[in-house]
Amino acid sequence: MDWAFLFEISLTGIASGGLYALAALAFVMVYKATRVVNIAIGEMLMAGAYLFFTFAAMWALPLWAAIAAAVLASGLLGAVIERTMIRPLLGEPEISVFMVTVGLGSVLVGLVELLWGADQRRLPDFMPSQPIMVGDAFLAPKVFWGAVVAAVFIAAVLLLFRYWRGGVALRATASDQGAAYSVGINVPRVFSLAWIASAMLAAVSGIIVGSIGGISSSMGVFGLSVLVVVIVGGLDSVLGALVAGLLIGLVEALAGAYLGGEYKLLATFVVLVAILMVRPYGLFGTHEIERL
Amino acid sequence: MRIGTLKESYTADAALFDSRTQHAWLALAAALLLLFPFIASDYWLYMACLVAINVASSTGLNILTGYTGLVSLGQAAFMGLGAYTVAIVQARWGTPLLLNLLAGGVVAMLGGIVVGIPSLRVKGLYLAIVTIAASFIAHFLFSNFGLTGGTAGLSMQPARLFGISLDTSFRLYWLIVPVMVLMLLGAANLFRTRIGRAFIAIRDRDISAEVLGIPLLKYKLLSFGLSSFYAGVAGGLWACFFRVVTPESFPLSMSIFFLAAIIVGGMGSILGGILGAVFMTLVPELLKLVFDWLPGGSELTVFLSPVRLIVFGALIIGFLVFEPLGLAEMWRRTRRFFHLWPFRN
Amino acid sequence: MNPQATSPRRRSLMLGAAATGAAALLQPLSVLAQGADEIVIGGSIPMTGVFAFAGVGINAGIEDYVKIVNDAGGIKGRKVRYVPEDTGYKVDVSVAAFKKITSQNKVNLYYGDSTGFAKTINPELERNGSILMAGASFATELNDPKKYPHQFLVGPDYTEMFGILLKHIAQEKPGAKVAFVYSDSEFGRDPIDSSEALAKQLGLSVPIKIMTPAGSVDVSTEVIKLRRARPDYTIFHGYILAPIPEFITQGKQQGMTSKWMGTFWTMDSSTVMKMGADGDGFMGVMPYRYYYDTEKAPMLEKIRAMRPEYQSTAYMQGFLATMLFLESAKRCLDGNKPLTGDNLKAALNSIKDFDTGGVIGVPITINGNSIPVGRVYKADMKAKKMVAASDWIKL
Repeated sequence: MDWAFLFEISLTGIASGGLYALAALAFVMVYKATRVVNIAIGEMLMAGAYLFFTFAAMWALPLWAAIAAAVLASGLLGAVIERTMIRPLLGEPEISVFMVTVGLGSVLVGLVELLWGADQRRLPDFMPSQPIMVGDAFLAPKVFWGAVVAAVFIAAVLLLFRYWRGGVALRATASDQGAAYSVGINVPRVFSLAWIASAMLAAVSGIIVGSIGGISSSMGVFGLSVLVVVIVGGLDSVLGALVAGLLIGLVEALAGAYLGGEYKLLATFVVLVAILMVRPYGLFGTHEIERL
Repeated sequence: MRIGTLKESYTADAALFDSRTQHAWLALAAALLLLFPFIASDYWLYMACLVAINVASSTGLNILTGYTGLVSLGQAAFMGLGAYTVAIVQARWGTPLLLNLLAGGVVAMLGGIVVGIPSLRVKGLYLAIVTIAASFIAHFLFSNFGLTGGTAGLSMQPARLFGISLDTSFRLYWLIVPVMVLMLLGAANLFRTRIGRAFIAIRDRDISAEVLGIPLLKYKLLSFGLSSFYAGVAGGLWACFFRVVTPESFPLSMSIFFLAAIIVGGMGSILGGILGAVFMTLVPELLKLVFDWLPGGSELTVFLSPVRLIVFGALIIGFLVFEPLGLAEMWRRTRRFFHLWPFRN
Repeated sequence: MNPQATSPRRRSLMLGAAATGAAALLQPLSVLAQGADEIVIGGSIPMTGVFAFAGVGINAGIEDYVKIVNDAGGIKGRKVRYVPEDTGYKVDVSVAAFKKITSQNKVNLYYGDSTGFAKTINPELERNGSILMAGASFATELNDPKKYPHQFLVGPDYTEMFGILLKHIAQEKPGAKVAFVYSDSEFGRDPIDSSEALAKQLGLSVPIKIMTPAGSVDVSTEVIKLRRARPDYTIFHGYILAPIPEFITQGKQQGMTSKWMGTFWTMDSSTVMKMGADGDGFMGVMPYRYYYDTEKAPMLEKIRAMRPEYQSTAYMQGFLATMLFLESAKRCLDGNKPLTGDNLKAALNSIKDFDTGGVIGVPITINGNSIPVGRVYKADMKAKKMVAASDWIKL
């Protein structure tokens, strides 16, 4: 048993799980506030990455300005999406809103192909490139810094949800819309806020994922893995997003290393089905009580 | 204006097509279907066969999602099961075509039942994710099993029916369309029976259905089984039509296509399934025609694919926002208009 | 359910949709469009989708060669017409395009966009009997004149490409360790097993074969495995760009000393240049010359005159495919034979020591379904060009 190898693989797996956790956070943000399963999260990631590409590579803005601009533009996109597609469907069955996000994903891919073409591109490097060594184990710097960023954001969101008025309003709207209205919370504005925040987080995640694997119009496939992470962690749990992200990252890395590249997705999905059979609402999700 | 459609017996009341006008329209439709292959070009025959396969598969998905309320994104995987079964059985044992199609349907049905087992524990969108997982596991099996030819896939000889080799679109039409019609009639009849009503009850409120004495697991599994049987037969027809089956032939996006088709057409009605499948299959062709028509030459063709994606997404969003009951509802409104004319309501 | 009056807006929308639908359906209950004695080249071209950069280049290459021939008077007085359709690199769209083009024109030559399409359409092609087909695929399976009698590859097949690279390695460093990194797709898996056997024959060893799932973003685990195998050379196959730069960057960071190589679809100059500084010295096999090659090549000069900006290797592929198409047609007509699939293929196989005008650096002979010739090129990041690193190798 090659422990050094196992350690190295596990370390990489956990760090790349951090990337999943960040994207999962964006997803959970939306679900927590509006009960919408946004399957277009991968495509929103892609949109954020392409916006960064436009600002940084095509318009040659300084990196920090480009990142900020991409995040803000993404937030704007989130607001537009919420207003035009999600708001009119309040009260419709879940499946309808789910299908709207499916349609949204398709539209986003089409727009990206239309505006930027379908070629694969690389994002300008902006992360430190010194490899990180933990003892003898090597960790790719991009993955490491990506995980650090993810941890920072998750901690920030957890704190915000606890202590900031907006965060509390979000949780209130999530648990009972009617009650939230009656205590004076501006529910539509909370919805917009949730979508904007989600889009901005997706943009950050997209920039990191894009700088690792390049950007292309089929980047949205990443969203499928994120969906698995969110289901395993619990659709409305921020902590679940973190834990499940790390878990799935680890599972994928181990499967890839010991079984072979083609088993990665299979292993993830088997874990998914197993967890769903034991805990149908995910590891940390709230159990839904159905009333007649 | 339609008046005087009274019924005098239970059988008459439960009939699928009850008025003389409906019978007339049906006869016209049947005549058109029979005449079509003799007047259409090869290209339109090809499209007709493709549309028929999609209609069959959409009807299956409609049974599961539209009538029983279990969202499924695994329809393409079940079609794949059926397609591979037909290809393998024909190559190895040379059994007659109809038997192969049946075998394809049965294998897919078994797959569907297995996928449906979690449906007792898991509900709503979580179940949809399980079907996505099933779809990936199926893809993995197709790519890595020696029996299925791995990533290169399988190719099959043209199917033979009554000694005639089905190798042109014209001949395949006479296989695919009658099978499709049979499947449609089967589905329509299903919803006149107890089983169909149980499905609808489960969709509306499954806890209430259980209280009323409908065993949930049995009927949910039945629904999965039936819908995947339809998918399997449609997949078998697909295999006969394209004659090459690879793991890439049945991607997740095909499942999404079928789900979109029944949403656009109208969930919960057979007509909706038909209209949705026809519409969604023909829209890309329509787009191509529009593009050919616009001045600008081959510069513009670069934009066809992204525009197609955007139109696909926009159609889904548009129908869900403006017309949630789909094309079937638009059709019903037109019919109502003609039934009630010259009155308004 | 509230009965709603159909608003006038909705009604007119419905009537409009019905009218468009009717108009579309009435269109081609069509007739074969036959230009008097034309040579028709049909194409399922992936001008959009994942292969778009290649599709656009291929389209331009075919168009340009057709223009050159038509400007010179056509083939024995017959004009050449090119009828393309976009397919988005999807097999069923490709097949539909084939059916549409062949039902509206009398097609003699066809360009297909993918391995999947080539395999799917083969039975149709055989039934049609009057078309010679080539395409963007270099799949090993297609290189079988018995199974695919009316198709050919515009260059070496993927196994032959690996063969050229392995031969070069065996000459440079006998007994070297060569790792294969490939994608989990038919494209990627195609040459791996046969190439492993070939490597052993040449005295090389293959310490590890790594398969990456399609669309994977993070390859850190794979790089760790690769590093531990300590290869002298690493050959990538089944990719266009991603995830090769990540492999190289992380590999170099971890201290790997391997040389990096790729196959045809990675080797376009603009693709390799995107690899950045780490891509310096990236090698690969390319059967054609690059747009900017300065060695004597009359066709390259013509191309540079027609198109002042850089044209990709996909352009070269389309250009050469058309050259071979029309050469076969010309030889058929010279022998007074009708343009059927069999005759065109026979004409193609009669091509011996044919000078492509410098698109391929040596005269070529087409015995079977492929052209097993290629050269190893190396990336020079300072000059931002691909430079030749070996002679033309024939298998």
